[in-house]
Amino acid sequence: MKKPYSKALSRIIAVAAMAGASGFAMAADNIKIALAGPVTGPVAQYGDMQFVGAKMAIERINAAGGVNGSQLEGVIFDDACDPKQAVAVANRIVNDDIQFVVGHLCSSSTQPASDIYEDEGILMITAASTSPEITERGYELIFRTIGLDSLQGPTAGEYIAEQVKPKKVAVVHDKQQYGEGIATAVRDVLRENDIEVALFEGITAGDKDFSALISRLRQADVDFVYYGGYHPELGLILRQAREQGLKAKFMGPEGVGNTDISAIAGEASEGMLVTLPKAFDEDPKNADLVQAFKDKNEDPSGAFVFPAYAAVQVIADGIKLAGSTDPFDVAEALRSNSFETPTGTLSFDEKGDLKDFNFVVYEWHADSSKTALSE
Amino acid sequence: MPDSLYYFIQQLLNGLTVGSTYALIAIGYTMVYGIIGMINFAHGEVYMIGSYIAFISIAALAMFGIDFLPLMIIGTFLISMIVTSAYGYSIERVAYRPLRGGNRLIPLISAIGMSIFLQNVVRLAQGSRDIAMPNLIPGGINIGPQEGFSATLSYMQMIIFAVTLISMTLLTLFITRSRMGRACRACAEDLKMTNLLGINTNGIIALNFIIGAALAAVAGVLLGMYYGVVNPHIGFMAGLKAFTAAVLGGIGSIPGAVLGGLLLGVTEAMTAGYFSSEYKDVVAFSLLILVLLFRPSGILGRPEVEKV
Amino acid sequence: MSRYNLKAAIISAGVVVALTGLLMGVRLGQSGGGLIITGAGPDVYWKIAAAALFMFLFNLFRNQLNALWRALPGMPKSPAGLTAVTEKPVMRRLFWCFLIAAALIWPFYADRGGTDLATLVLIYIMLGLGLNIVVGLAGLLDLGYVGFYAVGAYTYALLAMYFDIGFWPGLFAAGAMAALFGFLLGFPVLRLRGDYLAIVTLGFGEIIRILLNNMTWLTNGPNGIGGIPKPTLFGLEFSRRAGDGMQTFHEFFGIEYSSVHRVMFVYFLALVLVLITLYVINRLLRMPVGRAWEALREDEIACRSLGINPTAIKLNAFTIGATFAGFAGCFFASRQGFISPESFTFIESAIILSIVVLGGMGSQVGVILAAIIMTLLPEVARQFEEYRMLLFGLLMVLMMIWRPQGLLPMKRPHMELRT
Repeated sequence: MKKPYSKALSRIIAVAAMAGASGFAMAADNIKIALAGPVTGPVAQYGDMQFVGAKMAIERINAAGGVNGSQLEGVIFDDACDPKQAVAVANRIVNDDIQFVVGHLCSSSTQPASDIYEDEGILMITAASTSPEITERGYELIFRTIGLDSLQGPTAGEYIAEQVKPKKVAVVHDKQQYGEGIATAVRDVLRENDIEVALFEGITAGDKDFSALISRLRQADVDFVYYGGYHPELGLILRQAREQGLKAKFMGPEGVGNTDISAIAGEASEGMLVTLPKAFDEDPKNADLVQAFKDKNEDPSGAFVFPAYAAVQVIADGIKLAGSTDPFDVAEALRSNSFETPTGTLSFDEKGDLKDFNFVVYEWHADSSKTALSE
Repeated sequence: MPDSLYYFIQQLLNGLTVGSTYALIAIGYTMVYGIIGMINFAHGEVYMIGSYIAFISIAALAMFGIDFLPLMIIGTFLISMIVTSAYGYSIERVAYRPLRGGNRLIPLISAIGMSIFLQNVVRLAQGSRDIAMPNLIPGGINIGPQEGFSATLSYMQMIIFAVTLISMTLLTLFITRSRMGRACRACAEDLKMTNLLGINTNGIIALNFIIGAALAAVAGVLLGMYYGVVNPHIGFMAGLKAFTAAVLGGIGSIPGAVLGGLLLGVTEAMTAGYFSSEYKDVVAFSLLILVLLFRPSGILGRPEVEKV
Repeated sequence: MSRYNLKAAIISAGVVVALTGLLMGVRLGQSGGGLIITGAGPDVYWKIAAAALFMFLFNLFRNQLNALWRALPGMPKSPAGLTAVTEKPVMRRLFWCFLIAAALIWPFYADRGGTDLATLVLIYIMLGLGLNIVVGLAGLLDLGYVGFYAVGAYTYALLAMYFDIGFWPGLFAAGAMAALFGFLLGFPVLRLRGDYLAIVTLGFGEIIRILLNNMTWLTNGPNGIGGIPKPTLFGLEFSRRAGDGMQTFHEFFGIEYSSVHRVMFVYFLALVLVLITLYVINRLLRMPVGRAWEALREDEIACRSLGINPTAIKLNAFTIGATFAGFAGCFFASRQGFISPESFTFIESAIILSIVVLGGMGSQVGVILAAIIMTLLPEVARQFEEYRMLLFGLLMVLMMIWRPQGLLPMKRPHMELRT
């Protein structure tokens, strides 16, 4: 007597599915925002930052009465930071008639997906992809609420040239879009300032052994190392450099400014320099918001939490200003207005980038605290 | 030119350190291959699990107040080897034993599946973030002049050399002197015949998986302590490199795996030291291809006999 | 033998505890600079205990369970309908017609996401069919197939970037370039046997990817290449606005612009390419070279005795397999519009190989079915987000244990002497 039972079961499931579907239909006049980024995969932890920020913004905007009478609804899409899946995700977003996207995270996912959004008239704001190429194609509907690699590089390079004044510099990167982009920018600025770049070299992301590279840095007698990439590799480089007795100052972009680097490198992370966007969670203006994150047991200190929050808020304000949910109108509103967000007053240029987004140079300490060195 | 000489020594030491651990992992590949002619693709994940268990047991031992360093390290080795042995045994039972005797591609696929499975089990249980621990044995000695370039050899590197050497010696003694070792060699020679002679070949095959896994745990503990970092993704690349080392030395041959591992490690360090880190892997794989072109069965491998 | 396997039961329960106790029962964490551990919570402990108990009881009563199992009526070896399909020629033809018809009407019923996903499936079918020649038919274990896929994709992308070459000439260039690579790489390595060949091809695959990543001056390195043109239909573009000197599809036919047209066109194009691939491979199989592939896989020494040149035949298989990877790569590049080296990692090779093995080596229907499953599985299992890859790995293992011959093993035409 197995069959009738399983049939009954499948009927129950079908009914439940239909009930779910009708519940979905009732909520149809919500304004849907797709939150696209990695839920799975090796960089899922960065995806999390973005989702935490965006969800909080949606919640708070809804609690304050929503946008033009409708509520916002966030729908999470997982691209696992795989370009192939990102295109599939973009097509499903088109399919589900969603008109606003906050995402994606990795530049290599954002780039192919944004082709589709632009083509299909969907407004996309990325809170994390820093590759300059994304906004360089003259697209109308693609924006970002974070600074560019090409901005962060010069900030770091100028700081090195003007404040640190090292004799011999090595620039190392992880052969990935983000790391190599920044490292190239830093190298170019240093060369313009007549500082000797003794070594410009890539490593393999995910590697664990950098002893050969460090010996080489020691032999080249460099006194300053700029690293373009993320914290796991730089953490190990710092650790192994101390072990081998390399005496050089290190500097890295925001991707290394993560509390984990102190766990990996321990004492060796003391005195490292990092360029970071202003620490939004330490801004007294945002105390209230930070408390809201803490009440929900979420970490507000992630680099993409506040930019993602700002991205959602900018969409909401843009819809209010435009008085419609047409992405083209909203895009027009974004370009012609400025917005008060927790990350400051934002205004967008013709390309869709922020008009001024400042990076600050911090000195990192072994207990993963930091002190600002520049304004 | 003493500077460049010490630089060379330094890079040699760097390469030998990495090479030793490649060798330890490579032995797992080579033992399994030698006996059943199958590539255990999940072996890299066993190394990764060994590393995790090392972290867990160090933290646990420290919690129970055992902070006498040698005791702690020996305890860690034991716990880690026991757990990975269980993994080696289970992998053999689940992914290999039911598939023995069929097309050789089948176990390869199931091992790739196993590798993905294990990686995700660990990811779900422990999270995908890097977990780090402080350096337990800091410091080292300098070789060379006070000023100018001097080679450094850390205590941890010395421990890696010593442990690798001890493990290799014990393993060689086991294989050549003990009854079970003789049974292993017999199985590698002719599985069916050995079985007919009344040896429990299933047990011997399982033993090979277990020994391989235990050695991977040794590598996992050593590298865990040396680099101080572990995450669920470290197994894949380490496994790939060790596999390359095993083939380089001649898969199926234990001295070959050691030689292949050391050669690969030194080649990588020399490429990174004298040419560029970017091309480290390219040169490593090119070396493999070149060696195989001139010695199709690896450096110490026995040429395959064609049977009609 | 005793009735109850108490010893085995205790051992297996112990193994379960060893496997899970530390790795799952304890969570590693970080506090300040130090390492801390916390218990994973009672529900995990209960699960571990339950698993250990299950294994204990299972092994304790294994003899009884086995007897019970044998008492049950045997399960059919493979779905009866499908076996019939692969055996009778008429049914076979009908089945193919049905399959093609279903593929043809699919985009009219599916939504945009569905069509796009089907395109991805078709790309994998193309790759699977290509690798099937090398692995399934010629019996050469190739773990670096993704290298040729990358060569195809980059050939088109680079030609489009530097010389403004369109999709169609790009497709041929990609195929030719991949074939050239297959030939050049195959030449030295094909005298290696079995697993040595596997690791060398794996090495080549990695070398190609690393070179693409390192040669920034040519390939833009990790930044990848963007703005790769989409395919055109006899010079008609599928876009809202036409490029210089071009005309768009919707203007030409005087219909409303809809972006779905392009998705559908890309899908149909992929379908046509897959059908051509199928046709070519089917022809090749019946030609002397195809017969020689299979003969070589079965017995190399016998082949040599019969005067077949193994190296030439292997090289053939390698080159033709690479050509199809090149086509698929070119197609992938134009579907994505953006490619970077990270799309061509070893795991991609593993997935393509899994498709071939899962489908039943040598079997073309099997490859198609397996490509559908392997592409859809991660999508369908998306509800389980976290457990997606876990299930994927588990399924691969279980599949190999239960049906090692693949979903639809190949049945080759053969003659028997009857008395």
